[in-house]
This record gives sequence, C-alpha cells and structure tokens, in this order.
Amino acid sequence: MAEKFQLNEVEVWDGNYAASQALRQAQVDVVAAYPITPSTPIVENYGSYVADGYVDGEFVMAESEHGAMSACVGAAAAGGRVATATSSQGFALMVEVLYQASGMRLPIILTVVNRALAAPLNVRGDHSDMYLGRDSGWIQLDAFNAQEAYDLTLCAFKIGEDMRVRLPVMVHQDGFLTSHTAQNVYPLDDDTAYKFVGKYQPYEEMLDFSKPVTYGAQTEEDWHFEHKAKQHKALVDSRAVIDEVFEEFKKLTGREYNRVEKYLMDDAEVAIVALGTTVETSIVAAKKLREEGIKAGVVAPRCFRPFPFDDIRDALENTKAVAVLDRSAPMGAMGALFNEVSAALYTTPNRPLVTNYIYGLGGRDFAVNDAINIFKEAKANADAGYITTPIQQFSGVRGPKLGFFETKRGK
Amino acid sequence: MKGVLATEKRGIRELGAEEKVGWDEVPQGVILESFEEVLKENVAHIRPEERPYSDFNSYTATVASWRVIKPVYNRDICIDCQNCWVWCPDTSIISRDKQMLGIDYDHCKGCGVCVEVCPTNPKSLLMFAEAEEIEDALAKWPEKKKKSK
Amino acid sequence: MVEIRWHSRAGQGAVTGAKGLGDVVSTTGKQVQAFALYGSAKRGAAMRAYNRIDDEPIINHEKFMRPDYVLVIDPALAYTDNITENDKESTKYIITTHLSKDELIAGIPELQDKKDRVFVVDAIQISLDTIGRSIPNTPILGAFVKVSGMFELDYFLNAMQRVLSKFPQKIIDANMEAIKRAYNEVK
Ligand code: SF4
Ligand code: SF4
Repeated sequence: MAEKFQLNEVEVWDGNYAASQALRQAQVDVVAAYPITPSTPIVENYGSYVADGYVDGEFVMAESEHGAMSACVGAAAAGGRVATATSSQGFALMVEVLYQASGMRLPIILTVVNRALAAPLNVRGDHSDMYLGRDSGWIQLDAFNAQEAYDLTLCAFKIGEDMRVRLPVMVHQDGFLTSHTAQNVYPLDDDTAYKFVGKYQPYEEMLDFSKPVTYGAQTEEDWHFEHKAKQHKALVDSRAVIDEVFEEFKKLTGREYNRVEKYLMDDAEVAIVALGTTVETSIVAAKKLREEGIKAGVVAPRCFRPFPFDDIRDALENTKAVAVLDRSAPMGAMGALFNEVSAALYTTPNRPLVTNYIYGLGGRDFAVNDAINIFKEAKANADAGYITTPIQQFSGVRGPKLGFFETKRGK
Repeated sequence: MKGVLATEKRGIRELGAEEKVGWDEVPQGVILESFEEVLKENVAHIRPEERPYSDFNSYTATVASWRVIKPVYNRDICIDCQNCWVWCPDTSIISRDKQMLGIDYDHCKGCGVCVEVCPTNPKSLLMFAEAEEIEDALAKWPEKKKKSK
Repeated sequence: MVEIRWHSRAGQGAVTGAKGLGDVVSTTGKQVQAFALYGSAKRGAAMRAYNRIDDEPIINHEKFMRPDYVLVIDPALAYTDNITENDKESTKYIITTHLSKDELIAGIPELQDKKDRVFVVDAIQISLDTIGRSIPNTPILGAFVKVSGMFELDYFLNAMQRVLSKFPQKIIDANMEAIKRAYNEVK
C-alpha cells in the first residue's frame, strides 16, 4: 500500500508540482517518461514519490518521448492506469503515438506544459504544442493556473476512463507562467482525491489471458473510416461526461468548471476569447475597462477538444465585437482559435465582428495593457459597425505594425 | 600576444546585450553570422584574436559575471601536458603550439574542471575567490605535497 | 496588492526565498504568487524573482511589474542591474551590502533622490556568520519583515520554521538566527 502524503489545507504550489500531486493521488500504475523543460518537474517529482513509497506504480525512463508514449500505450493496453508529461519538441516527437493512443481508445493522461516549437529554439511558453495536438483525437483540457492544473488532472482520469468515453486526455498549462509560478492551491486529501478519481476499470485488457485481444489492427479502406467516425463521435459526445465530472467535482470542492468559461459576459458588448493564463490577465483588463464604462468580458474554452462549438456560440452571440487571441504562429492562415470561434459565430443571426490577434509567441509577455488595447480596438469596431483594423494583427512583436486581410464592406 | 587572453578585443558586451531589432530586420532562418566579413583564407589559419568575429559570436561577449570562483594559473609548475585544455568544457584554456598560455576569463565559468584534471604536484591551476588578485593568489600557492604511505 | 521584485544571481536562492515568503504569506489567509525570470538560467547569471500578495486570488499573470519593494540580494547587482526599473514614488529598496547607506547611494545615482526609501543590510555576511554559506535569501526576508511591517517578527519566525521543517534542526536554527539578525540590523 502506498503511503499517505500529508498535505495542508492550503499549499503554495507551482503548476508542475500541482500536476504531479494529482498524478500521485490518482495512483497511476505506470508513468513512462522522457523529461523535457518546462514539464520536467512533473516526472521528476513523480519519480521521487515512487522512490519514497507514496506510489505503488512503476516509473519507466524511456529513451525518447516517442518511446515514452509508446510505453504508455503498451501499459494502457495491458490494463493499467497510465500517465506522463511533456512539452514542445518532446510533444512533437510523441505526435505519431498520440494518434495510436486515441485510435486504440486508451485513456492515457498527458500533462502538457505548453512551450514554443523550434526553430528558433526556446524553452518559454506558447501554445504551439497544444495546437499541434488538436487533431490527434485526444480530449484537451486547459488550465489557467496551478489550482486548475491540479483540479483538471484529477478530472481528466475520471473523464477519459469513463466507459462512455475511453479516450486519452491532455491537461494543458502554460509553460513557466503556470508551471513555474507558485500560487495558493487547495488540494484534496489523498483519500478524497482517490475516491473522486475512482479505481481504474480495465476494458478489454491485453493481460486478460482468458480473452486475448489485438489492439490497433490494420484496416485499410474497408474499416478505417468507420473507426475514425466512431472515435469522432465519442469525442464529440464526451461533452456530456465532461459536464457530469465537472458537476461532481463542484459538489466535492465548490470549484466550478465549464467547457466554456465566461467572465463578466452577462451584458458584455466586447469580448476577448483566449486560452491559458491570458484568460485571467484579460479578466483584470476587463474589470479595469468596466470602470471606464466599456462593457468588456472574457470567454475561454476550458475544453479545447472536443471544441465547444455550441457553448462558444451561446457565450458570444450577443456581443458586438470579439477579439480572438492565438498564442501560436498561424503560419499562413488565420489563428486556429479564430477560425473555430468565427465558424461558430457564423451560424448566429447576429454575427459579431471577429478579429484575430497573434500574441505572446515564445513567452513574450502579455500584459494587462496589451489586453486593454485589444479590448479598445474591439470597442472601436463595435462602435463603427465594421472591422476598422486588419482582421489579423500581431500584438507585442517588435518592428513595424504587422497585420493581414482587410474586411470587405458592402456599399 | 595582445588579445589572445585578454578583454581588449572581446568581452565588449555582456551576453544578451545585443541590440534588439524588429521582425523586419532579424536575419532569415534564425541565422547568426560568426564573422563581420567573408573570410579570404581558411579560418583554421587565422588565429582567433585576428578573426573578424561579429557581435553575435560568443567570442565578443563576456560571461565573466556568472563566475563566483575562478581558476588561477601558475606557469612555474605547469608541464604543458594540455590536460586542462582538453577537458575545459568552455574552451577557456588558451594554449598555443602546445604551450599553455592561461585562462580566458571572459568565458571561463569557474567550474573547476581544469583544476581537477591538472596532474602536477602541487597543481598548476587552483580555484580562488573571484575578487582575489592574481599576484596574491600566486603568493599563497601551496607547497608540494608529500606522498603519504 | 503588494508587489515585490528580487534581484539575484541564479543559485543565490531568490526563487526559494520568493516561494518561502509565499508559503508564509499563505498561512495568513492571503493569496500569493511567486515566479522568476531567468536570463540564461545558469548559476551566477543575473535573474529576477517576483512576488505578488493580495487578499483576493491573484489572476494577473503579466511579467510586467511596478514593485512596491525591491530586494537586492547580490551586492554587485545594485550597480549593474537596473534596480529602479518601473519603480513607483513609494518603492522601497532593501539592498544587501557591506557598505553604509550613504556609501552605497554615492555609487548609484538612480537612488540619490530615494534615500528615505533605501534600506541596507549585509545579508551576505549574516548568512555566512549564521548559516555558514553565502545564501542571503533568508536574512533579506528578516529585513523585509522589519521594513514592510507586514508581520510580527515572532509570527514570521514561527511560520518560517514550518516552511523549513524538512531540514535538520541545526539549519532551521541558523536560518532563524539569520532572520533575527537582519531584522535588527537593517538600516
Ligand atoms: S574553471 Fe572550468 S571553465 Fe574555467 S578554465 Fe577551468 S575548466 Fe574551463
Ligand atoms: S593540466 Fe596543469 S600541467 Fe597540464 S597544461 Fe594544464 S595547467 Fe599545465
């Protein structure tokens, strides 16, 4: 039996520590990892929990991230609760196996500490790796601070392992801004946390020798489409289970999570849509602007995948102007979040004016003032009734103003 | 041999203090040019202190302030074995024609590896506090250690 | 909101200090944030650590800060780092140095008109005397407790004892002594 860890009612933890404690409390059977900055402390801490007897599971040091995720796939197919952590280049190297994990419907938990992708080489945070995973068939939950990194990691097990879902889940947090920033965190005690997550229920495990199975068989055109269709449906339908788990978590802790988070949105005229720590920094800006009479609000997909198309639409349809912030280089297109939010809003009668901001790449600071400027441009659009700036702009980059695409206005 | 060891030529800036330009001016491909001009002869035939290193080359940057302790070199004992030159992880031992010249204090991080690998008795390299004057350090040099049985 | 900026070199314990302060603050029911910005993340390189303290949960994640307190735990950084960057009319400076306040300010023109807000303490010497190593982070906290008046000294010592509880008693005692000395010696 694993030893209990004594926790205080309030701890001062950074996001990495918070995530590693959640993994420990879930009593993961196998963590196979290849540590990489800035997520290294998650597996490092986990290794010490194993060494100190706080976990009964196995800790496997792999030879690469590809190997780490492959070992996770093997362990999960064998019938264990499995988790790991990664960032950036490590995530990129895992990508091939991410599709294997989701296609085999293995509820592996991956804590991703978001970091930019090279070149240029950079250990700081942006959302390039999170975006890289968006078609991989995983559920992607996004934490905006250390408390949420802890809470959502616990929820992730319960969501992914639900028999109606059986999909792997990523829990994202911002590199350094969350992972290395210590804040007040209110943890659950070990028993309560484990009881919430629940005992692992295997499904068609390979190590059940009375009923041997093959995982991830070759299908070619005869079967491939049907499997992918089923997987997509499972992902879209997981929304109901996510809501249930969030509801149960709220009953337990009082802390509320939604697939789309809304702040100051009841009467908002202009809104920022963002991910990660930027969500909270933007709330600070929105509160300031409300003192000046600008009705600003913030909307954030807590759940990046499955994309909450319906709830995003409901949250924003009564606004006049929406600024969608992407913290990943869009490389020849509009930002991915912009595209998805715009698509959702296109199906509303009101169709708010939507603009796109690329910001914070490679860890560039996103300050309250940056959010204020963006809100003010959105307000100018709302007042004018059309988009007064280029539709896509770069915010916070050195050099001449950088923007792309003008709006088309009728006569 | 002006410029071989000393800060006259290099060490003109702290690492990272280069001018920050905008997206329209950064070099394509995240490239850092080592030299300010195109070399006319084989670089191996130009001595480092005579190469036209650019501001983006670490040769022209100093990281001396990162060090808390520093190695001091004692020419009188050194046997020019080149051990320190081989092992220094920051190419901060300067040797010319197999003769040890001293330490490049602009790039030495004070790790102490060179001292560790020096085979002489007493050692020809020893670590001292960063603020210690070289002459004072040399005056304090220990005697040869007797082999204990 | 109280905001604190630490000027340090990697390895001097500013991050541990900022987190330690955070731990203590959290026991008072307040909310805290502690983070660091590294240049090159190598031992000896200049770096900065930050604290935010508030009654409400802290949701501001910008790195930009206009500090209420600037803690300088490396004597040389007072000269070489821009310690007055983004300061306010009321920013207080606590600087570790073996110099007197006047001697120190004589060498740093930016502090000339901020004399009343500059406090000095030889945190390096205190840590050498008490802990036996140059780790000025705990003594600077003693000076901070005095200058800020944020806690009673006894309360802070008690809480700090808990934060350090995983260390041997000898080290805890040495740290307590360091905090007390800095509390009494800061000028
Ligand atoms: S102390 Fe380290 S970096 Fe400096 S010269 Fe010796 S081996 Fe090189
Ligand atoms: S290792 Fe010692 S003896 Fe050998 S070259 Fe270096 S300083 Fe001289």
